[in-house]
Amino acid sequence: MERQIINKKKRVFSLEPNKNPSAVFTRKYTRHLVPALKKLNMNKNSSQTNQQTVKHEVDMALALSAQEFAWSRFLLQKLSSSKNPTTTTSSSSNRIRILERSGKEGGDEDGEIEKKLKELQKLLPGGEEMSVEEMLSEIGNYIKCLELQTIALKSIVQETT
Amino acid sequence: MLEGLVSQESFMDMSVLERLKWVQQQQQQLQQVVSQSSNNSPGLFQILQFHGSNNDELLQSTFSHVQMLGSGFGPNYNMGFGSQHEAMDGCISRTSSCHMESVDAMGFMLKNNEENRVIALKNKRKQEVKTSEEEKAEKKIKVEIETESSMKGKSNMSITEASSDTSKETSKGASENQKLDYIHVRARRGQATDRHSLAERARREKISKKMKYLQDIVPGCNKVTGKAGMLDEIINYVQCLQRQVEFLSMKLAVLNPELEINMEDVSAKQFQAYFTNLPVVGASKQSIMVDVPLFPLDQQGSLDLSAINPNQTTSIEAPSASWEAQSQNLYNTSSFGFQY
Repeated sequence: MERQIINKKKRVFSLEPNKNPSAVFTRKYTRHLVPALKKLNMNKNSSQTNQQTVKHEVDMALALSAQEFAWSRFLLQKLSSSKNPTTTTSSSSNRIRILERSGKEGGDEDGEIEKKLKELQKLLPGGEEMSVEEMLSEIGNYIKCLELQTIALKSIVQETT
Repeated sequence: MLEGLVSQESFMDMSVLERLKWVQQQQQQLQQVVSQSSNNSPGLFQILQFHGSNNDELLQSTFSHVQMLGSGFGPNYNMGFGSQHEAMDGCISRTSSCHMESVDAMGFMLKNNEENRVIALKNKRKQEVKTSEEEKAEKKIKVEIETESSMKGKSNMSITEASSDTSKETSKGASENQKLDYIHVRARRGQATDRHSLAERARREKISKKMKYLQDIVPGCNKVTGKAGMLDEIINYVQCLQRQVEFLSMKLAVLNPELEINMEDVSAKQFQAYFTNLPVVGASKQSIMVDVPLFPLDQQGSLDLSAINPNQTTSIEAPSASWEAQSQNLYNTSSFGFQY
């Protein structure tokens, strides 16, 4: 992909759009999600709880759009095995725990870091089954994918309001 | 002969580090031969000693000798280190042809005496022996580099950059370590060079490299120093992102009945707003920018992506093109890279 420095008047097109990973991811993501949502829309009864199924679809779209990463495979497994994925349930409790820990500084430095790495592992789908090094690399692209996902979701939400 | 000499000289011209790397490749080949050479060590050693002064002849002789050995080398050789360094096992038991370049002749010599220590390595019990030898080797390596006959140093260079002369008995323990996996770890002078600490150091460097990459990704990590703080930031950021996704999906669930998304329309406008932070034509979507409050980001209120690309902006024109074209337009303004 070539990047050009543009002045405000010109529009930039990537010559090889399929190589830009963020574009590829976002495109795949919306392609998965939007039809799934539409289908949900059509199929569901009004009595069903939307929340979980939408969340499920959201996570599924994430997992399907990023299949080259280990965490997405884990996520897919989790999703296919259960209808109720819970990737963010313990986030608040984690946060509290982190705050507590950072309060008592100077304690066991290495142990602190170990604990934090474990926390991070919990956040990443499948992180607990990975080694620490692998987890650190996966976290990087997981963060990127999450960012792109939020953008896509935001725009979808905006589109409908 | 002449060619050998020429190649040798050009080899000298390379930087030390390049030599190291080159040598490592040779080492792998050498190592296979080493095992075999232990059987023939007396003879080879003599040969090497005999030709010690004259590098050129030495190279020739070792080369021919090695070729002989190489043919006998078979897949049955396996150091079987039982160590956790798979690279080591891999290179030891590698059965590629031991096409030996002349340069490593001295390293070859060194390894001859290594046989005992290799076994010690296996058991990891005689590391004291190794360390002392390594130190000797280190000293010799330095001298070697400075002298013309830098051959000796090469095999050990991969282990440590410390000074050295290569002694005839260098503990290859360190060399048999994962350095052959092309992980270059520099042991500074005076630092421990035994296998464990080297492996540990390699591992730590890997991890710190990854932490650096994460630091670039996660906004606000630059201000915090130290692993613990950075990890905290990263954890917070990931949690924020996840919460945001959850929030948005909740919102979507609420809005779902009214979902009338046309793929053509899910567009440029919104994406542009996020990527470039410019006013969007024809829609008052600027409110998006400050909409989601969950991020501890800069005042743009969006993901910090626009900051990633300070140089690029796109003009907001009436989105006439399809979504695909528009999105391409936008996405190439972001400098995402899935780097490792």
